[in-house]
Amino acid sequence: MKYKINCFLLACLTTLHLQADDLRASLFSDMKEFNTIATQTKQNEHYQPYIISVFKSKELEKLGVSNLKEALMLVPGVDMATDNFNNQTPIFRGSNPFAYGQSKLLIDGVVVNNLFFDAYSEYLSMPIDMIKRIEVIRGPGSKVDGINAYAGSINVVTYAEDFKGFESNNKVVFKYGSYDYGMGGFVKNFKIQKLKGHIDFYYQKDNKNISSGPDGVSQGSLGPANVGLSQSGDAPLWLDEYSLGINLKYQEFSLKARLLQYKQGSAYGINFALPQKSDRIKLPSYYAELGYARKINDVHIDIKAGVKYDAFDSKAKLMPDNASLNGVVFTNGGYGEHYAKQRVMYQSTYLTYDGVSNHHIVFGYRVTQEKTIDMKSKLSNLTTGDATLVDYTNTLPFFDKDAYRNVDTFSLQDSYDVNEKLSALYGVNYEQTSYKDAGFEPRISLVYRQDFNNIFKAIYSTSHRNPSWQEMFTKNNHSRVGSTDLEPEKVTSYELAYIRNFTSDSYLQSNLFYLINKNQIYNSASNPAYRNAAKTDIYGIELEYKGHILPNDELYANYTYLDGSYTVDGTSKNSSLPNVAHHLAKGYYIYYFSNAFSLGTTLKYVGSKERMQTDLRPRVKAYTTLDTALNYKSTQYNYTVNVSVKNIFNADVRYPSPQNTYENDYTQERRTFLIAFKKSF
Amino acid sequence: MIRIFLFFILFVQSLFGYNYDSLLLKADSSIFPKIMLMDKKIKNKLIDNKIIYTIVYDERDYETALDVKEYIENTFKKYMNGYPYAVDLVKFSQLSVNTEASALYVLKSSTENIKKAANIARQKGIISFSYDINNLKYDLLFSLIIENSTILYLNKEYLHTNNIDFVDSLLSMVRFIGKNSI
Repeated sequence: MKYKINCFLLACLTTLHLQADDLRASLFSDMKEFNTIATQTKQNEHYQPYIISVFKSKELEKLGVSNLKEALMLVPGVDMATDNFNNQTPIFRGSNPFAYGQSKLLIDGVVVNNLFFDAYSEYLSMPIDMIKRIEVIRGPGSKVDGINAYAGSINVVTYAEDFKGFESNNKVVFKYGSYDYGMGGFVKNFKIQKLKGHIDFYYQKDNKNISSGPDGVSQGSLGPANVGLSQSGDAPLWLDEYSLGINLKYQEFSLKARLLQYKQGSAYGINFALPQKSDRIKLPSYYAELGYARKINDVHIDIKAGVKYDAFDSKAKLMPDNASLNGVVFTNGGYGEHYAKQRVMYQSTYLTYDGVSNHHIVFGYRVTQEKTIDMKSKLSNLTTGDATLVDYTNTLPFFDKDAYRNVDTFSLQDSYDVNEKLSALYGVNYEQTSYKDAGFEPRISLVYRQDFNNIFKAIYSTSHRNPSWQEMFTKNNHSRVGSTDLEPEKVTSYELAYIRNFTSDSYLQSNLFYLINKNQIYNSASNPAYRNAAKTDIYGIELEYKGHILPNDELYANYTYLDGSYTVDGTSKNSSLPNVAHHLAKGYYIYYFSNAFSLGTTLKYVGSKERMQTDLRPRVKAYTTLDTALNYKSTQYNYTVNVSVKNIFNADVRYPSPQNTYENDYTQERRTFLIAFKKSF
Repeated sequence: MIRIFLFFILFVQSLFGYNYDSLLLKADSSIFPKIMLMDKKIKNKLIDNKIIYTIVYDERDYETALDVKEYIENTFKKYMNGYPYAVDLVKFSQLSVNTEASALYVLKSSTENIKKAANIARQKGIISFSYDINNLKYDLLFSLIIENSTILYLNKEYLHTNNIDFVDSLLSMVRFIGKNSI
């Protein structure tokens, strides 16, 4: 009997141990899974070795934020710049406001910067409703292996990101607003056995024309003989685009693809001469990336191969009637068609090894081949002045039709948890190209978690920006002359951050940064050749607060102060940064009247901007905009209506123009309204 | 006018709940019931041979509490480690030592309510879980935050209660925290 009882007790004990072991394993697995989700969704942003801000679209929608550009305007230290094509670019921490490519835009981890400008203006109009989350890393580096951003990286995460147990995001969206803006789109996720898929589609257009001028002809952009032909009038800033995105995942294989047909008005004119209303620029972008990811014991392998096509396709009036060029008079004006199509092919392999305790080692390579695959250059007859287009593709090309570049990047990185409180990330990237190499670029960052409430970060990093296609291969142009001898722009960055968590959902983050920029690529109206001529030192502080005043509200606010010095070769050091606002303050407040109704207000202040030393125009004026939005959500019928008014006080917002172009800068829209309707399924 | 405004503010506050992070709620809902099962004395806390996992909520957080209940029910189907279970929703105002509960999961509320819930959990000798880590300072037992990794915090000052005895392997997974360090 005693033996039986002992056996029974032993069996119970063993069962208990087995159950406890199972539970422990299950618990461990859950903790790991939620940690993975938190890392992927940047939920634990404060513990990551970057200066990062994350914006969730569901919050932004309540504020009436309509697209990616409007969302990025809320990021600390980010201002917006534009050019004569209305090629809009977010400027991170005042870094080279007239350059593109200093930041990278990734959509679901795929870099979408176009090769021609190295910009991504065509994606800034992406509706916020197609976006789940925006993760912005300020400073060099990015979260994607082998992608080395210079001043910042923006990762747009669509609703293709899906986690088990999380709500469905299938929806249709319609919007209507000022300038005859109309938009329609949908998001659909589906699962067929082991195949998981995501489709998003949108179409949008507007009829935006903004009074601008006098144009750059008044400042001699077409030579002194044509100054009197300068015009003022509506700059065609209209938009007409559609996009289809598809993400598929089948076991270890994945496909990410997007087709964007983007068409816009010719804005302020290729030669800074005000174009016609119907003149247009197309910036199409298509990409497809195949991936294979597999975990074998402690090794995780991630293989990707992709192809991306983009083009610059302009059809516009380039000179006003009776313009004179090299003694030839263009009675009916001068016209032009410029077309350059580029292809980027890449392949990368990265291995992650977790076999060494407390280490997470990643190493691998990315090889990229960039190439112009088609180019056409047509202009009005330069000999007779006849407006009819003549094909100058071979005789006077605007671009090198054989442009190509290979870029090979190797990287090694280790994330090491020194102890419970301290973790370090260190590594090096090495890059070589067909032209000038960036070489070795080290990076180290430390995160010290004193306790839940207090987190400290210290980051040292280096990075570069390769010259864009435009800067290297533009030819026979009055305002741009490319050079293949350009060195990459280089940055060395020092950053310190302190995060004070007040509660699980309120914090104050402060960042100090110092950036040393060398080999900055520069040109001017008087010397249009691109060259490595500028150096800038930038320092500043960013403060960011998120929290509540009341239990039923949300408050977000940030402030950035930045300053520094700027030197162009052959001139004296300028103790201030031209075209950069020293003070930026942004924030929003959402007040929930009930579970259905909320009222959101967004405030943005951008300080005044000094000009280049040689530019005698007054400073670019500071501006403050206030937006407000009323949001109604029906939980019963799963629809949302949002009515917003932007720039309520009709502030005069202008982005700076380069010297000797549009004297009064580039005027932006004033007060606008938007109505959005969304139905979820 | 000021009175109307104050009335309006107080009135609307009563309509809308606290802010919650959905990922943290889901992590809590997956992980906390498993921790409860790692109590060697769980059998003593069964009510009619069932586990009663009680979510204590402020009136305005009913929707959140309901979401948590549904998530737990979807995650654990009908049994928790072989035990049948029920998820009960109880308002702070209705919580008492007589409330049937094998464990409490405490959402956000006033300090007074949090202290009340912690006190009742101690009197009943059951485990208390907190959504908000800051509420461990009011004597709740467990909380979870997602830092660099997911971390379980255990209020060390209230660990050694007669009625709670965790398996050793759990104690190696948690981080102990004192009231003064929150």
